[in-house]
Amino acid sequence: MIVNGVGFQALVKREMVRTFSIINQVIWPPVIQTLLYVFIFGLGLGSRIKEVQGVSYAQFLIPGLIMLQLIDQTYSESSSSVFQGRFMNSIQELLIAPLSAIEIVLGYVVAGVVRAIFIALLITALGVVLVHAAPHEWLLYVVTIVLVAVLFSSLGIIFGLLAEKFDHIAVLTTFFITPLVFVGGVFTSMQLLPPLLQRVSLFNPMFYMIDSFRYSYTLTGDVPLGLSLGVVAALALGAFAVALRMTATGFKLRT
Amino acid sequence: MNGAAPALRIDNLVKRYGDFTAVDDISFVVPEGQFFGLLGPNGAGKTTTINAIVGLAKITAGSISLFGHDVVRDWRAARPLVGLAPQEYNFDRYLNIRDVLIFQAGYYGLRGPAVAKRADLLLERFDLASKAKLVYTKLSGGMKRRLTLARALIHEPRLVILDEPTAGVDVELRLELWSMLRELNVNGTTIILTTHYLEEAEELCDRIGIIQDGRLVALETTQQLIGEGSLQDIFLELTRR
Repeated sequence: MIVNGVGFQALVKREMVRTFSIINQVIWPPVIQTLLYVFIFGLGLGSRIKEVQGVSYAQFLIPGLIMLQLIDQTYSESSSSVFQGRFMNSIQELLIAPLSAIEIVLGYVVAGVVRAIFIALLITALGVVLVHAAPHEWLLYVVTIVLVAVLFSSLGIIFGLLAEKFDHIAVLTTFFITPLVFVGGVFTSMQLLPPLLQRVSLFNPMFYMIDSFRYSYTLTGDVPLGLSLGVVAALALGAFAVALRMTATGFKLRT
Repeated sequence: MNGAAPALRIDNLVKRYGDFTAVDDISFVVPEGQFFGLLGPNGAGKTTTINAIVGLAKITAGSISLFGHDVVRDWRAARPLVGLAPQEYNFDRYLNIRDVLIFQAGYYGLRGPAVAKRADLLLERFDLASKAKLVYTKLSGGMKRRLTLARALIHEPRLVILDEPTAGVDVELRLELWSMLRELNVNGTTIILTTHYLEEAEELCDRIGIIQDGRLVALETTQQLIGEGSLQDIFLELTRR
């Protein structure tokens, strides 16, 4: 599958260099925003809310906030990196090298996973310090992050290839990702919603990501864990396959 | 690796974009060690041909092989054999120029102290060592041009393709680049050059191919092509629409 391992590693490393050279866009905003959410919603308004899923509201909030930031940053980073590479033609450095489509796509995706784990750990540390919220199931914690990062890195590649201008990249974030994440259970348990909205939530893919990730904290979820993980894994696999196919056929990469 | 195979072999290459035929049934061979010039007016099909050789353009029909390796079927073996210095500056803007070279080598599967040493050597050779820690946007036009060449050479390709390497550079740098290219060729690297400066082709190339409207209209040694006249006269005669 990976023949040019050195080339693949070079791409992952290059993506990480990019991340840390724009650290004020990639790493600090999710941390600062989480701090604000925790103070305003968790500790401020949340003090008036009774326990949710057996934990304080602030503790309930942390895993949802991690997912919120992780989804946003993972998609933004891979889509802008691919689009910028196309726009500046620097992606040609990869295209003329002996790198296969899977090595290129995996390079971007693995970098997305590493970035996601880094951001998640930072916010997790904040949660531990501020509201004593820590994961109990570390394996599930990591598995969910990896699946979600694969999904949104792949979507980033897809939209980085589709976009004709930077504005196009924002379409998915503005009209789909952000609204669906916000109503997908970041701030509230599905069980607190009216029955109709509970049923609608089941069609929201973000709900399954947040629910399975929150399970690693609260050891309970709104739907069975297997269902949540299954949905997230299927979406991740599908998006990865599409990104791979587009790269392999040279979609907007090779004329 | 087939030692007897030419550096480049193009057989009946066709490249179409929808109804437009950019390259129309071109065939030629570049033996190893040759300094080959690919000339033609703007839009003639030179860059499309180059892009097909390096894998940036999908081939509609025909075939291309590098040192006996088909660039489509055997791309993994073919690509390390060629280095491309494109006309535009398409460097990674997040890396300093030393890392541009080191990461490019990495994409070709190379790493370690030998690569770092070669990057330093190339930076020294192209008079860029003092700028090693800068990103390319901080370089002058001439420095960027030299960096393009250094990047094309980092993985020690046997064939180097230079697309308008002296476009927009002053006379002094052009002569300096000519000297570098001659040295490279003398040391055994096959070179394919596209240029709009006919005196450059006349000065450097052993053999010249002229493309007009996607078709190869001349393929001769430089001396045969020029004959008693000048390359400019021949070029204008062959490419007049």
